[in-house]
Parts: sequence; C-alpha cells; structure tokens
Amino acid sequence: MTDQDFPSFFRLTLDGENHQVPLEKGSTLLQAALAANIDAPYNCGEGKCGCCLALLRSGQVSMAVTRALSKRNRERGKVLACQSIPVSADPLWLDFDQ
Amino acid sequence: MKLGSIESIWRYPVKGMRGEELPHGYASFAGLMGDRVYGLVAGDGDPGFPWHTAREQEEFVLYKARFTAPDNLLLPDDLDAYEEDGIGVKPLEPADEVHAVQVETPTGKSYDIQDPEFLAHLERASERRLKLIFSQKGQQDCRPLSLFSLSAAAQLSADTGLSVDKRRFRANFYVEWENQEDPYFEFSLVGKNLQIGDRLQIAIVERDPRCKMITLDPDTAEETPKLLQYVSRKLGGDAGVFAAVLREGRVKKGDPITLL
Repeated sequence: MTDQDFPSFFRLTLDGENHQVPLEKGSTLLQAALAANIDAPYNCGEGKCGCCLALLRSGQVSMAVTRALSKRNRERGKVLACQSIPVSADPLWLDFDQ
Repeated sequence: MKLGSIESIWRYPVKGMRGEELPHGYASFAGLMGDRVYGLVAGDGDPGFPWHTAREQEEFVLYKARFTAPDNLLLPDDLDAYEEDGIGVKPLEPADEVHAVQVETPTGKSYDIQDPEFLAHLERASERRLKLIFSQKGQQDCRPLSLFSLSAAAQLSADTGLSVDKRRFRANFYVEWENQEDPYFEFSLVGKNLQIGDRLQIAIVERDPRCKMITLDPDTAEETPKLLQYVSRKLGGDAGVFAAVLREGRVKKGDPITLL
C-alpha cells in the first residue's frame, strides 16, 4: 500500500453515533480514536484484555498481538482496536456497538 | 465496625472453568482451599500468561469441574488442633489424591481430569497444544482471594441495561455491604484490613482489572462486550478487589465482615 493509498479517515461507530476519525500512518485505530477525543473503550492497550474488541465492518487490518481474540471472534469479523493497523486502501469501518 | 457480610463463597477447581458455590470453606495464605488447583497451559501461550482460558475458547466457561470428594476440601484435617496451638502453625494441605476432579463438557460427557482422553478432547476443541498443571496452592491470576459486591452487580445492571449475573466476575467471595450509598464500596477498602467471621483476616490490596472474561455469559458463553466497555470507560477498567490473607481461617456463608 503506497502513502497515496493510505486511508486518511476511518468510520467509527460507538454508542449509536458514527464518527469520521483522522488516521495517521503507523497509528492503531484505537490511538486514532483517542487522538480524536473519542471515548473509545480500552484497558491494557496490549491486545491481552479484549476490552477494545470491535467489529470490522469493512477494510483490512493487521494485528501484532491477538491474545484476547478467539477463533470465534475472528470468524465473526472482530478485531482488537489497540492492535489494528490498516493494510489496505479499502474504506475502514470499526463498530464498537456490535 | 461491621461493613457487610459474606453472601456466598465460590471456588473454581479448574482455572477458567465454571465455579462451585460452597456452604463454607477455608482460606489459607494461598487462597480458598481447592481454588484453581488445576489449570491448562497452552504450548503457544504468551510466556507472561500461558494459561488457556475462555479468552481463547469462550465455551471453556461452560465446562463444569467438581471435586469427587468435595467435603474433604472444605477444611484441613485437625484444624481445631492447629488453631488451639496458638502460635499460628499452618495446617497441612490435603493430600494430592484428595484433589481428584471430574469435568463435565458442555455436551454432557464426563472425564477424570487426569484422563489423557480429556486433554485430547480439549486440544481438539481448542485447536491448541495443552498441558494440565496441578498445584495445591491456587493458580489465581494475581492474588489469592477476590471479592465482588452484589451492589456492584446491581449498579452495573442498572447502568448498562444488561442483566449482570454476579458469576461473570468469578470472585471467591460475593459480599453485601451495609453501605447503601456507594455501589462500588469495595474500591474504598483498598489498603484496609478486614476480618471475616471469627478468625480469617485479609488485606484488600488492589482493584481487580478486568478482561474479556466478564463479557461471557456463564450459562451460554455468549459475549456481551458492552459490559467490559462500560467497566473500562466508567470504572477505570476495574470491578471488585483482590485480597491477601493475613490470618488463615474458616469462612462461611453469612459471616460478618468487619474493619480491623
């Protein structure tokens, strides 16, 4: 993915509200949400507690640590926001309400 | 000063599996006798937390583990003699063979926990290499005892709109506080020492940081992330408290909890 292709925003759903969140290359989706002053849920920030579990409705991410992500979570399209870094130019949509 | 009382006592023979309620028990420096004496370590587990739990396999909370001789693990033998001795000698733990456990799978099949077929079943179900670990000293995550109040469960239910079953929090002691103002009263006890019943004394050492385990319905293993999200955003990620044992002793349902 080139810098030009890198998505500059992603959509985040939390408490029934949709946000357009600015995204900087190298940031996780959680870091981007917190930088945008969104009260996103998280605890350890290390992929271990599962607090930032969310449904990735569209887009693709890579995750370095996925300890709290079960096989069932993966099959249901869940990701850990604290570990998620975009790896495609596809529009990203992260939903904490599902 | 009485702060509250013990509503129920729970132990978890196998770390991560369903717990069992006890009429009474014995809290040693290592925790409630029989609590988390078995656990399963994953070959691909994090070196810092190698345990296989319901974080990796949600249905793990549906496995029912029970001691085949449960009464023998409620109190140490000759406890009266130890307590009368007066110098606080630690009672002998029951022998290893007294800790025999049967596990019932979610589909109703029962295994002896030491049966290699049981490990093979779990490895197939979890798609992981697992190793059974036994230790008479409990294999709790952080501290020997955990407490959680019914008022906290009720407040979480009210605030989230969920019906929050206390068992999600996998505490050893569920408590009812006299304090009706603060539903999370146990947080205010961090750093304080308490007596439970006639002899047991504990120190409340820290708040209990929570993970995915509380999102799992103890009867269905279905996940409700909203509960952990709420705990994270409104309670700093914590629910309930951890305790260390200062003086070993018996504990029974209804015991008063007093401030030392």
